[in-house]
Amino acid sequence: MSNHSPESDDALGARLRTELRRYTAPAYLRGSVGETAEPTRARPAWLAPTLAAAATALVLVLISIPFLPRILPADPTERLVRSVVAEHTRALMWGARRPEVVPTALPWLTQESGIGLTRFFVGDDRLMFVGAEPVYLEGRRGMALYYRDGDGHLVTYAVLPAPGFSIPESRRVPIQNKWRPALMSDGGFSAWVWRQGDLACFIVSDMVSESDIEHFKDYFALLRVATEPVVAN
Amino acid sequence: MASDDFHRAALEHLDALYNFAMYLTRNPPEADDLVQETYLRAFRFSHRFQPGTHLRAWLFQILRNTFLTFYRLRERESALAEDGVPAWDAPMFHDAPEESSGAVEAHTDLERALRRLPEEFRTVLLLAEVEGMALEDVARVLACPVGTVKSRIFRAKERLRGLLRDYTKE
Repeated sequence: MSNHSPESDDALGARLRTELRRYTAPAYLRGSVGETAEPTRARPAWLAPTLAAAATALVLVLISIPFLPRILPADPTERLVRSVVAEHTRALMWGARRPEVVPTALPWLTQESGIGLTRFFVGDDRLMFVGAEPVYLEGRRGMALYYRDGDGHLVTYAVLPAPGFSIPESRRVPIQNKWRPALMSDGGFSAWVWRQGDLACFIVSDMVSESDIEHFKDYFALLRVATEPVVAN
Repeated sequence: MASDDFHRAALEHLDALYNFAMYLTRNPPEADDLVQETYLRAFRFSHRFQPGTHLRAWLFQILRNTFLTFYRLRERESALAEDGVPAWDAPMFHDAPEESSGAVEAHTDLERALRRLPEEFRTVLLLAEVEGMALEDVARVLACPVGTVKSRIFRAKERLRGLLRDYTKE
């Protein structure tokens, strides 16, 4: 019995048990809860370990890809194109290792690459000059100039020594009735390839569609006219 | 416990859970939702139920936790006394919210007084007195020691008496 009230704990408890309304679950609720209880199709026991194993295998494959031996093209020209495209891709993803301003750095670039530029394309409203750097591809020292066009395409102009280098005749494309560079492709990139004196020249970009190739031809003409690489003495 | 057995055993407590949900929410649609949600969770996490323990207490615990999570977040918080319940004159954290338009009317002074109790007090009385649960099971539902349950029952009855006295005077 509480000191504060005439009603005892037991009496109050009894009132709660007897006087309070008792609510019963409506039939529709019983039905919907019953549906919830319907057994759902159990996930097969083998599914989780299989998925885990597949995910682990995928991760291992991804990790090991860079260490897998590369299948290199037998043709030296194709190998060079692949190397130049790889350099272009690297510059596209990470930027030039040490972009230099030309002509200020030209003497240093010439010393490093063994290639001089008697003149070069400094850029215009279509192609903006980004930078230049020496490169080392397929055991050859060379030079790369980077440009970016108004649509954001990176355009790489690369020059390497040409020994053992030949242009595949079947890929040649006439441009402005003056030049016949070869249009090659590798890894989703297009490359103009031609010889200029004792040097092999490349222009690489990700311009692969028909309309892009027309622009790419213009870029070739711009760079071909305005840039004159020579073997440094 | 096999899945079918578990479902069957859980559904036996539907009326008791609905009754509890009605006294917590005082609103049939909200009580429906609360019970539905309780069963959804119970079935989804049935593997966590330890066979041999009290299924009824486990279901009530899920229902109350669901209620606290989804229905009480809207209410303001305040400092709690040692037994986790606001003091008599403190602004009440879990005191009965305003009646909503869909709320069921209270028919008796006892119902009205019960509605005015803070949720912790209402719950402890509903579980211990109305549902007749053992204090250990009530403690499990409320996630507090048995001593706290006893203290809350005492204080809940004190406050219920006070409210009933007020109604008598009116």
